[in-house]
Amino acid sequence: MAIELIFNIIVGLCIAFYLFTAMQLPPTDNPIDLLGAGGFPIIIGILGLIVLAMITLKVIKEKHHIHIPMFDMKLPEGRMLVLNVIILAAYIALLDIIGFAISTALYLFVAAASIGYRKWGLLTVFSVVTSAVLVGVFGAVFYVPLPRGVDFLRELSYQVY
Amino acid sequence: MDIIIQSLVAVFNPMTFLLIVAGTLFGMICGALPGLSSSMAIILCLPFTYSMDPIAAIVLMVAVYVGGATGGSISAILLKTPGTPEAVATTFDGYPMAQNGRAGEALGLAVTASSFGTIFSAFVMLVASPALAVAALSFQSAEYFGLGLIGLCCITSIGAKNQMKAVLSVLLGLMISTIGLDNINGVERFAFEQPFLLNGINYISVMIGAFAIGEVYKNIEEYRHRDNSLRNDGKISMKLMPFREMVKMWDTFVKGSIIGTIIGIIPAAGGSIASLIAYGEASGSHKDEKPKFGEGNPRGVVAPESSNNACVGGSMVPTLVLGIPGSPVAAVIMAAFMIIGITPGPLLIREQPIMLNAIFLALIAAALLLFIGGRFVTSQFAHILKLPYPLLGTLIVALGLVGAYSLKNSMYDVIIMFIFGLVGYFFDKFKYSSAALILGLILGELIENSLRKQIIIGDGSAMGFVTRPVALVIIVVAILTFVWPMISKMMRKNKAPTV
Repeated sequence: MAIELIFNIIVGLCIAFYLFTAMQLPPTDNPIDLLGAGGFPIIIGILGLIVLAMITLKVIKEKHHIHIPMFDMKLPEGRMLVLNVIILAAYIALLDIIGFAISTALYLFVAAASIGYRKWGLLTVFSVVTSAVLVGVFGAVFYVPLPRGVDFLRELSYQVY
Repeated sequence: MDIIIQSLVAVFNPMTFLLIVAGTLFGMICGALPGLSSSMAIILCLPFTYSMDPIAAIVLMVAVYVGGATGGSISAILLKTPGTPEAVATTFDGYPMAQNGRAGEALGLAVTASSFGTIFSAFVMLVASPALAVAALSFQSAEYFGLGLIGLCCITSIGAKNQMKAVLSVLLGLMISTIGLDNINGVERFAFEQPFLLNGINYISVMIGAFAIGEVYKNIEEYRHRDNSLRNDGKISMKLMPFREMVKMWDTFVKGSIIGTIIGIIPAAGGSIASLIAYGEASGSHKDEKPKFGEGNPRGVVAPESSNNACVGGSMVPTLVLGIPGSPVAAVIMAAFMIIGITPGPLLIREQPIMLNAIFLALIAAALLLFIGGRFVTSQFAHILKLPYPLLGTLIVALGLVGAYSLKNSMYDVIIMFIFGLVGYFFDKFKYSSAALILGLILGELIENSLRKQIIIGDGSAMGFVTRPVALVIIVVAILTFVWPMISKMMRKNKAPTV
């Protein structure tokens, strides 16, 4: 129950901040635009807080236990999940530095290995081929300007897409 | 008669027919790949059309449109990653069907419903174009507001397990939809001087995050404890349901197609809204059916798929008759008309009757070709599902990332996808509804803008919502759709004998 209450408090704080910001929005110059820029956000913000309060009361009353493996580092699946979130964040951060092709191949290899895949040869082929296919389809065929990386990696990418 | 023969010759000559086949397949492939929408597929085809005969060019684009509207359902059903915005509602029941070992059946239903919807709207387009286009133009903000409300009523079914949390999810979606420049006054809202937030948060990146990435996190967590043998052994191919089974769902096919055609005709509404409304209608009409909506009910695939494809023919009505695009994709087709040197509008049908018939025939041909194209594309796509989960999960993430990035070629959309991946994970844990969040996000702009515009049109009065008969009917239906399940639940509770 405690973890859901914390979640509700975080959601409540977000809605309260949203509501506070909505109330700071400038009033409209147009007298017939009764709601103005802030009217609709204020209405849904207030409704959101009311519904959240009702949900929270129910949570307190029912006292359900919710287990979130992500917060339980003693469990291997919890560690695996956190590791994967970190790997994805690193993948996104690296996209603009080493480019799409290399970062995708690296991500596919490291993330699959972190989930427990151990056929290294196959994994290497999968990572390289999938990355090449994605670059080929999206970059070369459909002209999506995928992230290119910096310096010579950038120059190199222009040879492909 | 001459016109009909000329149209048949124009469309069914080998070269044009080949273009229809190629266009349908290309559209399906683009639709199935997250990040490549129907409009993008048509834009990619444009350069090839410059030197074509006008009819061949338009026929090719119509075929791509039909293929694209269907292709989105393939990845929605197999990967829980809607390939196109129109396929969002298909994930609600399509993916649970696939998880229950009925992927082939879900794909077959999606293609059948798409084909039915396309043919239905093609006939409507041919027979009633001028009258319908004029009627659609009488739609004002009050009616749009009502349509938005009807769309929101889906939450009574997709949040069936916990209505309060579904309502909060929808409200959170509505809140996110207000981020960016206010469409009426141009006021900056919740952007905190960040340029990337000025255009708002794109619901595709939210959708990829909350659905696809959230699902991958969930599967990673369960991977060690799951028996994967069944998933890897089964061969997935499109299976057509027996005719008598489909006839039992005739009302969902027809209602979905009618909703799609009407929404398609209304300028700027589009397939994603049509599919949500059709889904809401189907789930409301058959709420006691097993399996429940959201848990793999076949009608949950039929309704959105028939409606989003019916939007294709529907959206061609105002495009051809009035020169006003009925959907974002129709706007691209209209631009193509201009490039080729044809001006859509009232004179088009009178001066170029073969064009309308050719588009009608192309829609029918593309709709029938969906069965062949669907079989091919799904069989190729299904190979992906045979991968062991560590490979499949990471591939979904990489595909999702490309999908989010290619929206605006921006890393911000990728970051939003990442954030909403975590939101989707926690929503699942705390029994909130990611689908309801997306619903609020998609419909938020329509609801807020039409609400405010109607008040402005009414000179500061909200009476327009009551005095306009069509708007009033739509709003009352929306309210009843939302409230009725709760009232009937209370009535059932009261009637239940006390032990």
